[in-house]
Amino acid sequence: MKTTHDSINEKQTDRPQRDRTYWRSFEDLNDTPEFNQALQTEFMSSPIRAEAAKEGDNDKWARREFIKLMGASVALTTAAGCIRRPVQKIVPYVRQPEEVTLGVSNWYTSSYFDGQEHLGLLIKSREGRPVHIQGNPSNPLNKGGVSSRAQASLLSLYDPERLQAPKRNLLNEKRTNRETVAVSWEDLDSKVAGELQKGNSYILSGNITSPATQAVINDFGQGFGTKHVVWEPLGNDDVAEGQRVSYGEAVVPSYRFDKAETIVSIDADFLGTWISPVAFTKQFSSARKNPATMNRLYSFDSTYSLTGSNADVRFRIKPSQQLTVVMGLVNAVIKSGKATGVSDAARSLAAKYANAAQDLGIAPEKFQKVATDLLNGPSLVVAGGLATRTEASLQLQIAVNLLNSLLGNDGKTVIGNAGSSRLKASYADMLNLIERMKSGAVTTLIIYRSNPMYALSGAAGFAEALKKVPTVVYIGDQMNETALHAHYVATDNHALETWGDVEYAAGVYGVHQPLIRTMYDTRSFQLSLMTWAYMSKKGPQRLQTYETFYDYLRAFWKEEMAGKVAKGRDFETLWNDLLQNGSVGEVATSGSARSFKADALSKISGKQNSSSLELVLYPTVQIGDGSLANIGWLQELPDTVTKIVWDNYASVSLKTAERLHLKEGDVVTLTVNGQKAELPTHIQPGLHDEVVAVAVGYGRTAAGKVGNGVGVDAYKLAGVQNGEVVFAGSAAELTKTGKFIQLVTTQGHDSMEGRQLVVQATNKDYKENKEANIHRHHTWSIWSGHQYNGHKWGMAIDLNSCTGCSACMTACQSENNIHVVGKKYVFQGREMHWIRIDRYYTGDVENAETVFQPVTCQHCDNAPCETVCPVAATSHSEEGLNDMVYNRCVGTRYCSNNCPYKVRRFNWFNYAKLIEKPMHMALNPEVGVRTRGVMEKCTFCVQRIKEGKNKAKVEGRPLKDGDVKTACEVACPADAIAFGDLNDENSRVAKVFKAEPRAYALLEEWHARPSIRYMSKIRNNDQVTPPKHGHHGEAPKNEPAHQEGGHS
Amino acid sequence: MQLRLLQQSLIGLAMAAILLFVSGCLWQSPDAEYRASRSIGYNTGYAPEQPLPFSHELHVGQNKIQCQYCHNQVEFSKTSNVPALSTCMNCHQQVNGSKNPDAIKKLREAYADGKPIEWVKVHLLPDHVQFNHQAHVSRGVNCSTCHGPIETMAKVYQYSDLSMGWCVNCHRQPENKAPLNCSTCHQ
Repeated sequence: MKTTHDSINEKQTDRPQRDRTYWRSFEDLNDTPEFNQALQTEFMSSPIRAEAAKEGDNDKWARREFIKLMGASVALTTAAGCIRRPVQKIVPYVRQPEEVTLGVSNWYTSSYFDGQEHLGLLIKSREGRPVHIQGNPSNPLNKGGVSSRAQASLLSLYDPERLQAPKRNLLNEKRTNRETVAVSWEDLDSKVAGELQKGNSYILSGNITSPATQAVINDFGQGFGTKHVVWEPLGNDDVAEGQRVSYGEAVVPSYRFDKAETIVSIDADFLGTWISPVAFTKQFSSARKNPATMNRLYSFDSTYSLTGSNADVRFRIKPSQQLTVVMGLVNAVIKSGKATGVSDAARSLAAKYANAAQDLGIAPEKFQKVATDLLNGPSLVVAGGLATRTEASLQLQIAVNLLNSLLGNDGKTVIGNAGSSRLKASYADMLNLIERMKSGAVTTLIIYRSNPMYALSGAAGFAEALKKVPTVVYIGDQMNETALHAHYVATDNHALETWGDVEYAAGVYGVHQPLIRTMYDTRSFQLSLMTWAYMSKKGPQRLQTYETFYDYLRAFWKEEMAGKVAKGRDFETLWNDLLQNGSVGEVATSGSARSFKADALSKISGKQNSSSLELVLYPTVQIGDGSLANIGWLQELPDTVTKIVWDNYASVSLKTAERLHLKEGDVVTLTVNGQKAELPTHIQPGLHDEVVAVAVGYGRTAAGKVGNGVGVDAYKLAGVQNGEVVFAGSAAELTKTGKFIQLVTTQGHDSMEGRQLVVQATNKDYKENKEANIHRHHTWSIWSGHQYNGHKWGMAIDLNSCTGCSACMTACQSENNIHVVGKKYVFQGREMHWIRIDRYYTGDVENAETVFQPVTCQHCDNAPCETVCPVAATSHSEEGLNDMVYNRCVGTRYCSNNCPYKVRRFNWFNYAKLIEKPMHMALNPEVGVRTRGVMEKCTFCVQRIKEGKNKAKVEGRPLKDGDVKTACEVACPADAIAFGDLNDENSRVAKVFKAEPRAYALLEEWHARPSIRYMSKIRNNDQVTPPKHGHHGEAPKNEPAHQEGGHS
Repeated sequence: MQLRLLQQSLIGLAMAAILLFVSGCLWQSPDAEYRASRSIGYNTGYAPEQPLPFSHELHVGQNKIQCQYCHNQVEFSKTSNVPALSTCMNCHQQVNGSKNPDAIKKLREAYADGKPIEWVKVHLLPDHVQFNHQAHVSRGVNCSTCHGPIETMAKVYQYSDLSMGWCVNCHRQPENKAPLNCSTCHQ
């Protein structure tokens, strides 16, 4: 019998050789037979696939309950044969709330805080329930941008596993949890209030950026003598401590990436995970809109971070080289003679690093160029994040401050007084607390939302110390690893159920509004403290007086805040303005240069151990510190760089993998600091050969059904040395175990076949020719095409702005009710994302560059999908949309087969039926849910188009540009996406289509005439792209040198 | 022999399936004979029993209350709201209802207890169809164009068949200048 595989192989023989300039994976690069075979079996839906024969193996991946449920849904298919539809009820309000118009959404300002970054939000509410989260455009920091995690936090509100009432844990003698039982608030309050009388109480929390909450904690401390310890797993205490030693005040400064012409980042992933990535992305991309004058980003990267992938020039380093990089630059800057305020001490210290470039293995002229660029204009040097938390992290911070001061950046691009002094999280304080717990000096420990049992290295000894604390009270909304070991769990409201306030940055304040009344029997943290104070009659009057935290908040603002920010407004006006705008105050745009303390230099000893394989722990954009691990949207959001879902892994370079005979997915035992972890290998192009990088935030054991057991907990690999928790630079050892874990990436599912999909040019290319590297095709047709007399919708995506942060993917998922399918089905190519971000590597395998490209339905004028649908379920609208009519679709999947862009998604199961209550409340009522056997895809947010058109019509005015914004466009912190009417000459999109030289269409030669234009990526690296021999399909036959030794 | 047995059992099975299908339909529908008399497959004439015997004939026909007094959001929303009890109570604080005082009593009790009335939905559109009241009303389409002679209905019934053909027929009329894209109604 001739199998499908045979015919595929036949097909391959006469396929033209692909262009290898851009590649998505090693399999793609090496053109392996397995890869090509996988390409031909879209969705792995072939009945003869091997998978069917060994279903048992696959069950191992289907470990999460809901994926099993998906399998069950096949059997649960109902035979709905009858015509009579079910009886539906209409249940109107008893008393009509004034602000609710049925079917019309209300938008409220609110905020989101993830421990580092505070985002101003606009939250959409339908009939009293929040359904979609966007950034608040009037917020001075994030300016409408938003992160994936902030958007996905919506799901945590409706998480069925969220705690619904106060709990009590019955602990056994070993202080492990025997049983969790219900407890009434009265019992809990009287017990806790009683314990608090004994003194020696502590509150452990994450960063508190809410002035009123801080006031409650301070008042509470006054009453009970409680001490407050602040700790975050991803805190920036290294930065704050560096600032204190260098300039005198411990502060996380405000950075101005928009003001710098040259930015050097040493492992500070400011576009992905460091301090305030959304605001930084906004700033960074705003300075890249004009390729002729754009900024330049140098990255010294020991992981492959999102910032590294956006760098114009990226150098791979290992953690122990970070200090050398900075001091080498200091030396070069001093030697140039252009630096200001150089002390002799600095000069002699820097002289030790004269050979920095050689030590780093970087060509001296390239290294010198970094220093030259830094001196050329306003610049900014940043270092930080887990990857810099080596034993020498303080030295590194001081060196960076020195460099910024020498360059005159302090006060210009690093503004100390505009930073946040509320980001007080400190590992040192945490370790100190643990010591006190161990010595029995802590009687009552109140833990507010922190999760040290998970996120703190075992070496810190928190678990043992906790056993010595007679009463542990946990305040949070999940029964997480720490809550399980608390005596009492005073269940907290979700952030969307609680009032609060925010200090976004120095002098910028906001009020955090709740979106929904408490769904369950929960009580806010603040009110819990207030209740205990009231019962014990302790603390200042205001702590005991108010019955709700809202009252306290209003009084606090009236008394303490209004004077600072009201500017003549009376309190009610200020309050209403605050609720309406979301924030008050401006970010300081400049400051004064602080003097660098001479004695800080003495801390730079230069001492740092290096080893032949160094561990780097890093947080990912999607999972962050791991507290949102139970959200399927985030687990299924592909990693921004590796594009792997539902896992963490040990990333190593190609050379290291070869040396250790490792292939993708081979499980290794990673031994660091006496700790062991078994992780699958991921081979990462562009990683330093002496680095093994592992993401934290995975391996939760008490996150919930979705997050439990996804990946491995890497926090435990962190070591504790000299009172510091060390996340990077420790010597690591890798041993192959012989086991295998299938890592699932979304990047291997389709191929560009060497055609021009992504276009990158350099600044020099661009100077020569603004259309550099774009191959234009002359297409013609005997058909005049569709006529668009009204609107004609189109989109423009600027690849030069896109940082690949993936916020658009989550926005789309939330807006369009897109389901999560789980690891197994993503492996089979059945992910449902309507917009994806393709990541292409280019250049040398050892030091590959990346280019990101968001791809969604191109809404072609000559759409290949429309012509093959046998039931006309996908058809062309008179406004240029490829409409998809779900109820007409019979699921032939011909359209997907014929789509050159591979943007169509098929419902293999009845996902909507698997939504567990109350998760269904997160669904957007303006968009239907699709049933099994139906094809779906991006609609250009047709519901938003209709809403915008309808609004304009009712108001009796023509639609103007910006009236209709797609969900992805709104979420994008880099403003890379523009949507609008091509028939409106003045729209942003029409201008790009007509006049932008960097604009090109995907697969122009196919004459599908897509309605999306991409603008080429410009890499500001002063290189010239060598001319190519021909283009797509005509690549030279001789294999490029870097192809050797690929892995399949 | 075996073949004939198989044939027989197959025919039997098919018959049973048809019987089951038909009886199932009859069993599921409370007003099957009425519906069957009007149109097959659509709910024209569907007039379910409501928890309170609200009469449009009385309120609209005799008392001449404007539609938008109760359905006050129809101009602002895609949904035409069924009024909240508070709207009913605007009048029924005073009006005792000489014809059916029990119903008014029930209404007032529900209002006092804060228990909403669960009305049975008459006009059922499938989930994949979106109808926007605001768009139609603001273009001057009369309520009665689709809902029929509401002022004569003591019990509301479905007047139009609400089929796709019925929608499209109206959208197709050139004077209506209505869009005919799939995504106009399906999204």
